[in-house]
Amino acid sequence: MLNRSQQPELQAIHKIDFVKPQQFDITSTVKLYFMKEVANDTARFDLYFDAGTVKGEKGIPSFVNSLLLSGTQDKSSTLIHEQIDALGGFMESGISFESAVTSMFCLRENVLPLMHILTDAIQNVAFFEREIDELVQDKKQGYLMNLEKVSFLAQRGFQQRLFHTSENYSKVANLDYYENISSSKLKSFYRENYLEGLFKVVVVGNLEQDAIDEIIDTIGKWSKPTSREFESNIKNLPGNTHIEKEGAVQTAIRLGKILFNKTHEDYNDFVVLNTVLGDYFGSRLMSNIREDKGYTYGIGSMLSEYNKFGYFMIATEVATEFKDATLKEIKFEIEKLQTELISEEEMDLVKNYLLGQLLKSADGPYSMMDLYTSAQIHGFDFEFYNKCIEDLHKITPERIKELAVKYLNWEDMTIVTAG
Amino acid sequence: MIEFERFKLKNGLTVLFHKDVTTPMVVINTLYDVGARDESEDKTGFAHLFEHLMFGGSVNIPDFDAPLQNAGGESNAFTSNDITNYYDVLPAHNIETGLWLESDRMLSLAFTEKSLEVQRNVVIEEFKQRYLNQPYGDVWLELRPLAYEKHPYKWATIGKEISHIENATMEDVKAFFHKHYNPSNAILCIAGNFELEEIKRLVEKWYGDIPAGIKPARILDKEPKQKEFREQIIERSVPSDAFYYAFKMPERRDPAYYIVDILSDALGREKSSRLYVSIKKEKQIASSISAYITGSLDDGLLIISGKLNPGKTFEELDKALWEVIDEMKKTTISREELDRLLIKIRTEKEFQEEGLLNRAMNLCTFELLGDANGINEEREIYQSITPKHIHHYANEILKQTNCSLLKVKAINNAE
Repeated sequence: MLNRSQQPELQAIHKIDFVKPQQFDITSTVKLYFMKEVANDTARFDLYFDAGTVKGEKGIPSFVNSLLLSGTQDKSSTLIHEQIDALGGFMESGISFESAVTSMFCLRENVLPLMHILTDAIQNVAFFEREIDELVQDKKQGYLMNLEKVSFLAQRGFQQRLFHTSENYSKVANLDYYENISSSKLKSFYRENYLEGLFKVVVVGNLEQDAIDEIIDTIGKWSKPTSREFESNIKNLPGNTHIEKEGAVQTAIRLGKILFNKTHEDYNDFVVLNTVLGDYFGSRLMSNIREDKGYTYGIGSMLSEYNKFGYFMIATEVATEFKDATLKEIKFEIEKLQTELISEEEMDLVKNYLLGQLLKSADGPYSMMDLYTSAQIHGFDFEFYNKCIEDLHKITPERIKELAVKYLNWEDMTIVTAG
Repeated sequence: MIEFERFKLKNGLTVLFHKDVTTPMVVINTLYDVGARDESEDKTGFAHLFEHLMFGGSVNIPDFDAPLQNAGGESNAFTSNDITNYYDVLPAHNIETGLWLESDRMLSLAFTEKSLEVQRNVVIEEFKQRYLNQPYGDVWLELRPLAYEKHPYKWATIGKEISHIENATMEDVKAFFHKHYNPSNAILCIAGNFELEEIKRLVEKWYGDIPAGIKPARILDKEPKQKEFREQIIERSVPSDAFYYAFKMPERRDPAYYIVDILSDALGREKSSRLYVSIKKEKQIASSISAYITGSLDDGLLIISGKLNPGKTFEELDKALWEVIDEMKKTTISREELDRLLIKIRTEKEFQEEGLLNRAMNLCTFELLGDANGINEEREIYQSITPKHIHHYANEILKQTNCSLLKVKAINNAE
């Protein structure tokens, strides 16, 4: 007779087979990472530029990023898109504080022609006034729409206070942002940070070596040696701020502080603490605030990483009437972790969960590459994750409590609410 | 080619097995043939609320998530107007924990008052977060009843109104479970590095003794053929005017579905598409414009939507939009343009099938449509479509009398 109340026996994960991408030097500073182990015809390549939002005056970096396919003297923006579409390419372009990335998703047979179209478009942007004007109008509209969202308002206010001591990281969009855009500013940022700012290339796909050689050859002529520098020692401004939004039926909450990244000795263990608190469905915050109280559709905590630092953040949207109650419960959960040891049972569950998630992050060539590059940014190899597995097997409830006391002091937190 | 095996248990459960020797994970995907279209009009939002309750503990297991997390796995689900789909992704060696959990909640739920009470609140917050507290968030709550008069697609998955969720009782919950959550109304797909015999043994072990139940008959109100142009204007505190043209289109099983899919791509999928080039780039009437299909199993919608630039009017847009449509109806598209649309579809499909979870979900969806192997036939169907087909359906679908137009007029612009 089947015993349905008894969980089947579990096996723990002790080892993960990582597949390391091949590495090629395009120049002395620009590297190409290549993952060939793809079972089907898909491929992706990413071009990374030292063109993040902190690199330029407000608005300019994100405008240049959005104008990369806006046309050259020989080709209109529509023609470039037609050519990309005719080869089945899907282009994505993104910008963060510290870098910008342009990615192309396509079939492997189309990687080279798409690479040529893309590099030609990006290397010869004409910055047509009409394209700039159109983008200013679109972005302005997008901005006005964002102002209607409490999540945007809270995130923006949080960013200003979190990066309080850094002018570059704390600057946020506002309406005069859009009056400030001139083609000469765009062009100069473009020259400095795109024409001379390519710093990394990633290729995933079952390509032959000649194809990689051709990519290196094409990109090689472009790359200029650059050294990248980043701010450190940024401090957040602790305390509460509320941003009023009339008519909102929910309040957005953002709460957190400046912390560290993978290079810090407490990183691996803090990831476990963060998971216990708010980074999985069974977390303390989800169990209490969603599954017990029903104040929200979701609440989570996270650790964001940059080159020289990281930050910790809790984010949620709650029913307006439960704003204070939610903050109280968040504080309660943090203090509980600082004063009470978590049970062995919960400790084991979180360990097993994180090991399973790491296994999943290494499933398939695309995930494997992303896992690798997120360690490589900080100068690590897959060794980093092997150490992670080791640390996970060693962590104790005492250590969780110690880190909660050390890093989650309520008085240090920047708290922003909007609603 | 996505290879799979199919077998059926005595209780009616359809099982698909997809072998992938490269993955260390297993996906257990369960599709229940029930969605918001199966609700009664005075109790909408129920299929989705119920999906939340499926995580509130089952008859022999008080907590669904903790044992799964302990096995290194995670789980989620979604509800649409057509189906409810649950999936677990966990390390392959712990497959039995997944089967244990999924089979127990197919057997029966815990049905606790506390779970119902809390999930009602969670879903109400979801309603607010996604539909009420977002600019344009309630558009589909307005557009559906405009486009559909009879068919239950006239309400959204989240429900017509919050009160329907507030009023859900334990009695409703139990009745819903007994009617729709039984083996004969489910399709299970397991994907991972296993042997078929092992999967057969494990599925029989965990699911074999679940009582069969009766597959509920589905008798839905058929949507009458639309004969007149419909239009509605709503005023909202949003930054710009927005428009939604909804054209009725054939159901998922109709071969014409694929033709209309391509038609929508030609109109407004990419930055090289007709509406984008004409209305955004050349005439600069809209700041955004795109065309897509809802992908629903019964008669669906082809939507053209976007936002107006400041100072532009709905009338200017309407004129320009119908010019593009009329051109599409008058002349056949070139082979070159069609090939451009086809290779995007092929590339997209190839990426979809790169992921194990997508493969498992799509196999279940195609099995629901009649045959899981449909997943392998799609490419050929698309390739067989000609400019003539598209021309024909452009004239069939893109008519005033087949169109419902929702305009969102911006008031109190927050300048």
